Amino acid sequence: MRFAGWSLAELAVLFGAAGAAITGLYLLRMRRRQVVVPFAELWEQLDRETDTRKLWRRLRRLFSWLVQMLLLLLLCLALGDPRPQWWFSEPRTVAVIVDVSASMDAPAGDDGMLRLDAARARVEAELAALGHRDRVVVIAAGPEPRVVVPLSDADARGGQAADGLQGPGQALATLTPRPGRADMDAALTLARNAVAGYPAPELLVVTDGALAPDDARAVAACATGPLACRVAQVGARAATQTDDDAGGPIDDSADNLAITAFAARRYPGDRQKVEVLAEIRNLGATPRDFVFDVLADGVSVGKKQLHLEAGARTRELLPELDAARARLEAKLLPVEGGAALPGTAMDDTAWAVVPPLDPIDVTLVSDGSDLFLEAALLALDDHVRLGAVGTDLDAAAREALEDADLVIFDVADAPLPDPLPGTHLVVFDPHRLEDSPFEQILPKKQDLRRPRLTEQDRKHPILDGVVFKDVNMSRGTSFQTEATDLALVKHLGEPMVVLRERPERAVLAIGFDPRQSDLPLRVAFPLLVANVVDYFEARQPGFVATIPAGTSRELTYAQLGLGRATGVTSLQVTAPDGTQRVLRARDGRFRLLADDTGIVHLEVLDGDAAGAGVDLAVNLADAQVSDLRPRLPELPEDADASAPPPPAPPTDGPLWTMLLGICLIILAAEWTTYHRRRTV
Amino acid sequence: MALADRFRRARNKSPAAGRGGDVEDPFDEEFLRQLELLQVVARRIISGRQRAERKTKKVGSGLEFADHREYTPGDDIRNVDWGVLARLNQTLIRLYEEDEDLPLRVVVDVSDSMMTGDAHKLRFAQKIGAALAYVGLSNLDRVGVTVMSGKIHETLPAVRGKGRIFRVFDFMRTSARGGPTDIAAGCKRVAAQSNQPGVTVVLSDFYDLAGAFEGLNLLRFQKHEPVCIQVLDPAEADPRASALRGDVTLVDCEGAGRRDVTVSPALLERYAEAHERFRSTLESKCRARGIPYFRADIDQPFDELVLKVFRRGGVLR
Repeated sequence: MRFAGWSLAELAVLFGAAGAAITGLYLLRMRRRQVVVPFAELWEQLDRETDTRKLWRRLRRLFSWLVQMLLLLLLCLALGDPRPQWWFSEPRTVAVIVDVSASMDAPAGDDGMLRLDAARARVEAELAALGHRDRVVVIAAGPEPRVVVPLSDADARGGQAADGLQGPGQALATLTPRPGRADMDAALTLARNAVAGYPAPELLVVTDGALAPDDARAVAACATGPLACRVAQVGARAATQTDDDAGGPIDDSADNLAITAFAARRYPGDRQKVEVLAEIRNLGATPRDFVFDVLADGVSVGKKQLHLEAGARTRELLPELDAARARLEAKLLPVEGGAALPGTAMDDTAWAVVPPLDPIDVTLVSDGSDLFLEAALLALDDHVRLGAVGTDLDAAAREALEDADLVIFDVADAPLPDPLPGTHLVVFDPHRLEDSPFEQILPKKQDLRRPRLTEQDRKHPILDGVVFKDVNMSRGTSFQTEATDLALVKHLGEPMVVLRERPERAVLAIGFDPRQSDLPLRVAFPLLVANVVDYFEARQPGFVATIPAGTSRELTYAQLGLGRATGVTSLQVTAPDGTQRVLRARDGRFRLLADDTGIVHLEVLDGDAAGAGVDLAVNLADAQVSDLRPRLPELPEDADASAPPPPAPPTDGPLWTMLLGICLIILAAEWTTYHRRRTV
Repeated sequence: MALADRFRRARNKSPAAGRGGDVEDPFDEEFLRQLELLQVVARRIISGRQRAERKTKKVGSGLEFADHREYTPGDDIRNVDWGVLARLNQTLIRLYEEDEDLPLRVVVDVSDSMMTGDAHKLRFAQKIGAALAYVGLSNLDRVGVTVMSGKIHETLPAVRGKGRIFRVFDFMRTSARGGPTDIAAGCKRVAAQSNQPGVTVVLSDFYDLAGAFEGLNLLRFQKHEPVCIQVLDPAEADPRASALRGDVTLVDCEGAGRRDVTVSPALLERYAEAHERFRSTLESKCRARGIPYFRADIDQPFDELVLKVFRRGGVLR
C-alpha cells in the first residue's frame, strides 16, 4: 500500500493533533439539555433503580469517542489517497483459451453441470480476479479458434456492457460445445499473437484435458514454453482408472459410448434396400448394454441390442434394411429400463446419406476377337456402362477414351495408341509388339515362353476368388517394376500381372494375351474381370457421403457426384439447423467446414450444374474426440491453475472515495441516532 | 345585577394582575357564566337543605334527634322526653345534633410544581377553589381561602355572602405564589389558624413524597374534615407520549436538585408506573381514613369535577 496524497508522516501529525482535540473535547463534560420537571424526587427514585445503566453510559461515551476517532482515521486515510502496490505495477495481458470441444459436453459431476459450465465458471473467476487495468482476450478453442471476448481492459469491457454490446459475461454464456476436437495449436497461436507486444503477457488454458494427442502436446509445450502459460483442468478427474485392480471403485465419470463410423449403401440389385455399417466404441471403464437403432424419416428400420465390454469396439452390419430414403439416422439408446448412456450425447447420434449408384464408364478397345472378355464385361451391365471401340482410333474415339473411367486394351496384334489415354488402364499383353508406348508406363523386362503362373497375391481384391493354378499359356512378358508397384501374379518370381498406382491414375498390366491361354475357359476369368472393374470403380473419386464435423475439408464436384461440372463459382450450404451460407468454388474445388452434426445440403448456384443439389452427412465420428478421459501429460507445478484466483478488490476506483463513503455512512448513522435522542 | 356585570365592575377596580400577573387570569367572564350555571345545578343537588343545616358533630340545639342522656339539674326541661318518662318513669333528656354553619376553607397549593409549563395546574386549582367558594358563599356558608407553599402562607379570613366572591377572586389573583411544595407545613398552619374546624379542601398536586398525606392527616387530627383534590397534568403524569428522550439534565422546578439521566422509553414507562403508584397510594391512604379523594386532570372541565365533588358528597352536607 502506498500513499499518493499526503505522506504518512503528515497524516500521523494530523491524526495526532485532531485526535488530541477530539479527546480533549470528550474529556470536558458533555453539556446536556436541561429539562425542568415538577417532581424530580420521583425521577431520582427511578434513577436509583437503574444504577447499572451508569456503566453503559460511560461505555457509550467511550464508544462515541471511538467512533469519532474512527472517522478521523478514515478522513486521514482518504487524504493520503492510499493505493495498493499492484496498482503501480504493469497491467497484465491475459489470453484465456477455453476448450469447447465435444468432450466439454460431458457431465462434470453428479449435479448435472457440464464440463463447459465448469470451464465457464473458471473463466468468470479469472475475469473477476483481473484488475481494472489488466487486459484480457478470451478465445474459444474448437475445431477452429474463435475470439469470444476481444482484447480489452476493464473500462472497455464495462463500456461494452454500458453500450448494450455483449459483455464478457454474455459472451461466455454463448459458448457451447462444438462437435469436433479443440485445435489447441491454432488457438494457442492465435492467443500468442493476440497478447504479443503487450506488457506481462500470459496464457491460461481452461480445458477438461480430454484432448487429441497433438492438442495435448501443444498444451504441454505451451506450459513449458517461454511465455507464461497456465493450465486449468476442469470438469474431469485427472486420471481415469480402467479397472478395479487397485481395489478401489471404478471411475466411470469419463465413460462414453460413441458411434465412430456410420455408412450406408444401396444394393445395386434392389434399390429399395440399403446396407448399413456402423462402428461403435465403448470408451469407458464399464461394460455397457445399449440399443443401436437406425431410423429413416424418424421411423426405425433396424434395431439391435448390443453389449460392449470396457474399451471394446464393434462393427455392426445391418443388411437389407427397407429404406427408400437417402437419409438415415443412427442412434444409441439405453436399454429399456436401463440407465442413461454415459458421456456426451453428441456422438450418440450419426447420420448417413445413401450414395447414388452411378455406373462406371468402361471402354473396351479390342479388335473384337475376344468374345470371352466382352461376355464377362456384359455380365456386369448393372453397374458398368460399357463402350467399345476398334483398334483404329480416330479423334472422336480418342476423346471417348479420355472421358471413360476405365479403358481396357485387348488389341492382340494391333499396336497400342500413342500416347495412351490418361485415365485408368487395364492392358492385356502390352509388350506384344516392339516399341510399345506402354514402355513409358511400365517397361518390359523379358519375354517368357510357356510361363507358369506360380505365385499370386490372393489377398488383393483383384484376385479375390481368382485361381491361376494350372493356367496354360504359350507366351508372355514380365515387367520391370518399381518399389511401389504391386506384382499380383508372378512366374517364378517374374512379375506378369502388375498394378501400378499413381495419384492421377492406376494401371493394371497383364503380361499375356487371354487368347493365347486357357484362362478364358476357366471360371477365374469372369471373376478376374469383375474384380478388376470393381477395383477401379472403387478407386473412382467416390461419392463423399460423410464428412467429419469440425474440420475444414476440400471437396471436388466429382466427389459430390456432380461429375465434370463447369462454370461453377458458388454453392449454397444449408446447415442442419437451417442456416444458409454461400461458398466460393474454384477449379472444381471448394472448402467446406461443417461445424454442426447432421445433414448438410449443398446446391450449385451457377454454371452448367446450376440447381443440382446433394446431401452430406456430418458426424463427429472421431474416437479421439469421443474419448472423454483426460490425457494431458504431467505439467510443471507452476503451470497448474486449477484453483481459481481470489477475486479482485470490490472497487477499482480510488480508495479515498470509498473511505469518504464509509465516513458518510458512519456520520449518517450517528446523525440518525443523535436525532433519536432529541429532547423536548 | 348579573354576576358577570358585577364581575366586570369589580375587575376594573381591582389591580390588574397582582403578584401573579404573568399568569393568565383564570376568573374571566366565561368562568363566571360557568359559576352561575354551577350554582343552579349545585342547588338542585343540595336542594331542601337550608341555611346552617349542615350538621356538626356537636350535640346541641338542632332539630334532628341524636341521643338520650340522664337528666341533670340545670338542663332545659323542654328537652325532657316526656314519653319515656311516662312509659318507663325515667327522666331522660333528648339530645339533638346541633345545627351550625361549618366554615369552608379552600387551601390552594401555589408552589412552583403547580406552575410548570403554563401554570395550567395552578389555574385549574384556582378555578376549582373559586367554584367551591362560590357555591359555599351562595349557601351562606363562611368561606376562607388559603394559598400555601413551602415559603408562602396567605389567608383570606372567612367571609360570608355571595357578594364576597370577588374578594376571593382578588385574593387568589393577587396572592403570592412560588416556593417548594410543603403540604404538611401548610396544613399545620391552616389547622393552627382555624379556631373553628370545618371542611378544608386542599387543592394540590401533592408532589411531596414525604408530606403529602401527613398534612391531610394533620387536619383530620385537628377535627377538620379534609378533602383531597389532587390536580394533575396528564402529560406530567405519563410523559411517554412526549418527545423527551436521550441524555438530559432534569432540573427540579422547586430547586430540589439536578440529575443527569438518560431518558429512554423504558424509563418513561417506569416513571408513569411510579407516578401512578404514588397517586394510588395517596388515594388509598385518604380513603382508608375517610378523607374524600378526587383526581383532577387539567384536561377535564373543572365544572364537571366540582359537580362530581358535590355528588359524592363530603364538601357540602
